[in-house]
Amino acid sequence: MTATDFFSLMPLIIIATAAVIVMILIAVKRNHSVVAGVSLAAFALAFLSLFRITAVTPHTLPPLLIIDNYALFYMGLIFAASFAVTLLSYNYLKSYNFNLEEYYILLLLAALGASTLAISQHFVSIFLGLEILSVSLYALIAYVRTWERNLEAGLKYLILAAQSSAFLLFGMALVYASLGSMNINDMAQLLSGANLGPLALIGFALMIVGIGFKLAVVPFHLWTPDVYHGAPAPVTAFIATVSKGGVFALLLRFFVAIDIYNYESLVIAFSVIAIASMIFGNVLALLQNNVKRILAYSSIAHLGYLLVAFLSGNNLSVDAATLYLTAYAITIMGAFSIVSLLSGKEQESDKLEDYRGLFWRRPVLSAVFTAMMFSLAGIPLTAGFIGKYFILSAGVHSAKWLLVIVLVLTSVIGLFYYLRIVVAMYSAPTDDMPSQPGISRSVSFSGVLVLAGLTILLVWFGVFPQGFISLIQNMVSSLQDVYLSMIV
Amino acid sequence: MSNEIQLWPFAVYTLSVFLIVAIMVILSHFLGQRHKEKETGEAYESGIMTTGTARLRISPQFYVIAMFFLIFDLEAVFIITWAIAFKEVGWVGYLGILVFIGILLVVLLYEWRIGALDYAVSGKKIVKKFKQLNKEVI
Amino acid sequence: MISIPMEFGLILAGTLFVLGLIGLMVRRNIIFVLMSIEIMINAAGAAFIFAGAKWGEPDGQIMFLFILAMSAAEVAVGLGLILQIYHKFQTLDGDTVSKMRG
Repeated sequence: MTATDFFSLMPLIIIATAAVIVMILIAVKRNHSVVAGVSLAAFALAFLSLFRITAVTPHTLPPLLIIDNYALFYMGLIFAASFAVTLLSYNYLKSYNFNLEEYYILLLLAALGASTLAISQHFVSIFLGLEILSVSLYALIAYVRTWERNLEAGLKYLILAAQSSAFLLFGMALVYASLGSMNINDMAQLLSGANLGPLALIGFALMIVGIGFKLAVVPFHLWTPDVYHGAPAPVTAFIATVSKGGVFALLLRFFVAIDIYNYESLVIAFSVIAIASMIFGNVLALLQNNVKRILAYSSIAHLGYLLVAFLSGNNLSVDAATLYLTAYAITIMGAFSIVSLLSGKEQESDKLEDYRGLFWRRPVLSAVFTAMMFSLAGIPLTAGFIGKYFILSAGVHSAKWLLVIVLVLTSVIGLFYYLRIVVAMYSAPTDDMPSQPGISRSVSFSGVLVLAGLTILLVWFGVFPQGFISLIQNMVSSLQDVYLSMIV
Repeated sequence: MSNEIQLWPFAVYTLSVFLIVAIMVILSHFLGQRHKEKETGEAYESGIMTTGTARLRISPQFYVIAMFFLIFDLEAVFIITWAIAFKEVGWVGYLGILVFIGILLVVLLYEWRIGALDYAVSGKKIVKKFKQLNKEVI
Repeated sequence: MISIPMEFGLILAGTLFVLGLIGLMVRRNIIFVLMSIEIMINAAGAAFIFAGAKWGEPDGQIMFLFILAMSAAEVAVGLGLILQIYHKFQTLDGDTVSKMRG
């Protein structure tokens, strides 16, 4: 290990150290605010350290890790999202009187796992990152254990995620058995356009099952609505942004490296998954009456859109996918922040009924929520529109007409349920409504901070996208450069 | 060829094992004597009478201890792996295992402080509570 | 020294994996579901060892160590969750616990 190695791993070291420090702090004396402050500082420091690391990228730590600009971008996304989740959680957990401090250890560890995924280039580190992420998530989802549905969601996630890890592992073992290497780059060279043997093909299929579960794409989506519904709202935001972002970063790197577009069978498999996700996600969301469940189904559909970007397989696809993921992360984080800020103790404001007439009581919050819904629907002047535009142009560029048509049609279906929430908010309130304790609660300073930051980002991204686009292109193009140079 | 080893002795051996066990069980079933008096099922002379079922409810604390054992037990695997490769990994490896054991120590400290290692309610706490209650009564 | 071909090992691992999967789908008791998942994960670990033996590398065994450690962590969290569920629902039947629909 050289000094550069340590330097380039700085963000991970900061996060891991912070987790240990929090543990010591709890052992000395429990204090919710101090622990939350340490976690916030850790995420901020880790985020800032990324800017220093750009000086040494791309840096490889053979055989496990690679730190390139692409990884740095995704790590930035993960740390920023975790920062926002920490602020929200502080607000959300304050009213509970059981041990709250361990929550932040788990949050730090989950972020550590997700960022490990972003820099992995070897099965061992992929497995470790994924498991650190999901084992922390089991406990985070079931953290408010006085709720019944919280425990239920934790159990469901535990069973399905552990099972998907088993699939992923078995797939990895078969790929290793057939290729003789667990390093992505070696694999790319060994394969280099050659036909996949039956063993490797089964292995990749099992790995798709495993990754598909983590990303919650159809037909591996069954856990999503229940877990989104049952988990505390900040944790749901974390799953939707950090967990999916980390796994998607990994998937993108893996498939760009082995150049998936040479394998007809894999492309067809992913196209089927993408189409099914877009259709099922959007149609099933129409049937829901709970905002968290609607957002869960919409997340399935959005992952389908992301796959379209990544399947188009031209030089736009990685840019478009990353752009869309960033826009989606900002938006969904904003939406769940509002759900979390409006929730009272023991009961979350997640039923559509709770939002009826919200505008007349909380105009600012409703306006922000409306902006988030518009962005999810892909209406111009929001981040979601820019993301969707790039995906469409990537799809059109490589003439994936079927995918593009399904995308456009399902987006129209999507408009219905996003507007349903918006319409509910602006409809006149009735007097005999059961009052939700959380609705009238005043929003704390940290909540205002998160919401204001996200709203500014959302509109800025939507109105002046040029800066974001060039930033993302600069950061992400390294992925293709690295692997193209390797293949040539 | 190594694959063309003679398998039939093994098959004969396996078969004969099953055969002998089957013969023993079946013969003793027909030849052995059986009785069914009042005391047959009871414990032998000075043995202890059974009470209740064998399915006891065990305190959750045992599960917690079992989990700690499971986890700390597995950490030994990594330490032994390091010990095997002691010469090859050198000082960097030493530093690594130092950090690893350091984290384990912090975890132990944490578990001790939050009271996860207390098998039972501590005597001091009971006495303290008792005195407190006494005072309230007076 | 007679070496067993890797395919035999993979068939064994695959059989174990499928058995675990069947157990996962058939069983209703949460403890048995966890046990089935453990069988699946360990089958994958066995497959790694056979693959490592084929290539003459220790990588497969190293992976198995990580799998062991991670499945222990998973079981620990799982048992903790099960204790809480038993405390709350007084049952370990998966269908009783599952209330959310849609």
